[in-house]
Amino acid sequence: MNAPSGHPRSPLDHVRAPRRVEWRALTNRAPPLALLAILLCLCAIPLPASVAASIASEGADTAHSPAAAERQACLRCHAMPTLAYREPTTGDIVSLHIDPHALADSVHGQLACLDCHRRSYRRYPHPERAAPREFDCIGCHRDDDADLGRQWLGIDAEFQRSVHAVSTSPRAANFDCHTCHDPHRFRPAAVGEPLTEIVARHNAVCLSCHRRLLEPQRRSHAWLPNRDAHWQAVRCIDCHTPPAREANHEVLAAEQTERNCVGCHSSDPRLLAGLYRFRSEEEIARRGLLAQALFNEAYVIGMSRSPLLDRLSLIILGLLILALAAHGIGRYLVHRAGRDSRGRA
Amino acid sequence: MTTLYLYPLWVRVWHWLNAILFLVLIASGVSLHYAGTTWLMPFATARILHNVAGILLTLGWIGFVIANARTANGRHYRIRPRTLIGDLIAQTRYYLHGIFRGEPHPFHVEPERKFNALQQLSYLGVMYGLMPLLILSGWGFLFAVYLPPTLFGLGSVWVVALTHVAVSYLLVLFLVTHLYIITTGETVFANLRAMLTGWHRADSSSTSRSESS
Repeated sequence: MNAPSGHPRSPLDHVRAPRRVEWRALTNRAPPLALLAILLCLCAIPLPASVAASIASEGADTAHSPAAAERQACLRCHAMPTLAYREPTTGDIVSLHIDPHALADSVHGQLACLDCHRRSYRRYPHPERAAPREFDCIGCHRDDDADLGRQWLGIDAEFQRSVHAVSTSPRAANFDCHTCHDPHRFRPAAVGEPLTEIVARHNAVCLSCHRRLLEPQRRSHAWLPNRDAHWQAVRCIDCHTPPAREANHEVLAAEQTERNCVGCHSSDPRLLAGLYRFRSEEEIARRGLLAQALFNEAYVIGMSRSPLLDRLSLIILGLLILALAAHGIGRYLVHRAGRDSRGRA
Repeated sequence: MTTLYLYPLWVRVWHWLNAILFLVLIASGVSLHYAGTTWLMPFATARILHNVAGILLTLGWIGFVIANARTANGRHYRIRPRTLIGDLIAQTRYYLHGIFRGEPHPFHVEPERKFNALQQLSYLGVMYGLMPLLILSGWGFLFAVYLPPTLFGLGSVWVVALTHVAVSYLLVLFLVTHLYIITTGETVFANLRAMLTGWHRADSSSTSRSESS
């Protein structure tokens, strides 16, 4: 359903796009002196009570571990929401803020900062480059990662084929894992997390760059029936990647994305293999088997449709009804004839 | 005129519960299958109705199988191979020809045998063939996440979906035929009344033993 004209609202409006922390830009371009100037100014401001409390609570449970102590030391500055610098070439304000709660919840929440960043980051001012090596997921993760049911190199190969990797657009320059997956807050969707939140969180990553899609004059998704309902229930990548059982990193160009309703609304729906597979697992874990059976939502319209079978069945049903009706009329006529003959006798 | 007590209370309760569930499942199933058509029930309503009715139908079927195994009702489902072919031919000939000639019914209801050969085969096929397939494929839908990627070399969801729909259509054909065939008793409503009261009324000459008259 489209929004009424004059009040353009999208269901995704309530989704706050994650703040893209341009930490990679910082690692390559931030002049240490500029950083120093801003940091000195900001450190002179007393920490807000909430930030101080969050830093304290972040370190509370593992305060004795060296990694936690190191994180606390870094977060003393980086937990401040106002920590930022102005990028000298573009003039943009680049945030250096790291949300301590998001970091604690992330898959990297138990790491020490210097596990990834340069050793020399222990000192201040920090060096110009954040890490000693090419810094992406493959740089640390290996194919023997037991927590991941698939191959990291496979993910990398998918990404290398994606529009984000092959595009010659200046906007796609330096695109890497961290452009979407902020290492300071990334965590995979967890069982128990409501599906709408998963969808909103995933889509917010895409919309952090592609925000113009939400502008009312943009018609790129106008072809989609019940567009807003689709946007609330389906992740961008469910349509904008080739069908796959796991999340696919081969993001397709807009013109390559298939506008095929039957891709989902069919007997072999890709949604069931991807998003709804997770949804079923999540609901079984949360509600139990019986409740999952009662409130199952994994039926995608069209899954059971077969035009040939439907047509054939309706024809057979129609013929059967005609045959039975003819049989009944015959019986009635015989009965009436018998009654008449008995009456005459 | 004699009467036989053919349908004990549990059979009648089960039968009418099944009938209601069949109607609910057909209405909700058609609404899911042809979702988007204006005169059908809303998708969300159909979804929950179909799930609940399907689970109740499963429980009912399990109860029926257990009760049939543990009570005397099961004897009506045992085929008599020696007379089966002859009985089938006679029954089919009666429905296609004899019924229009006023011929007597070739099958006589007895306490030991309440189904004619055609009834027996169709009920056996429905209760022990189609119903398990319907129930299994329905639960396959509910827990599609646990299905293997392929079944018999085909996408498992596709196999489950098509099985469920094809069996559903066959059961609708059975239901329509059943509704017509019950009108072919002594009178148009005699069999319907029997399934409501439990008592089957028959011509005394066609009944070997009577319990009351």
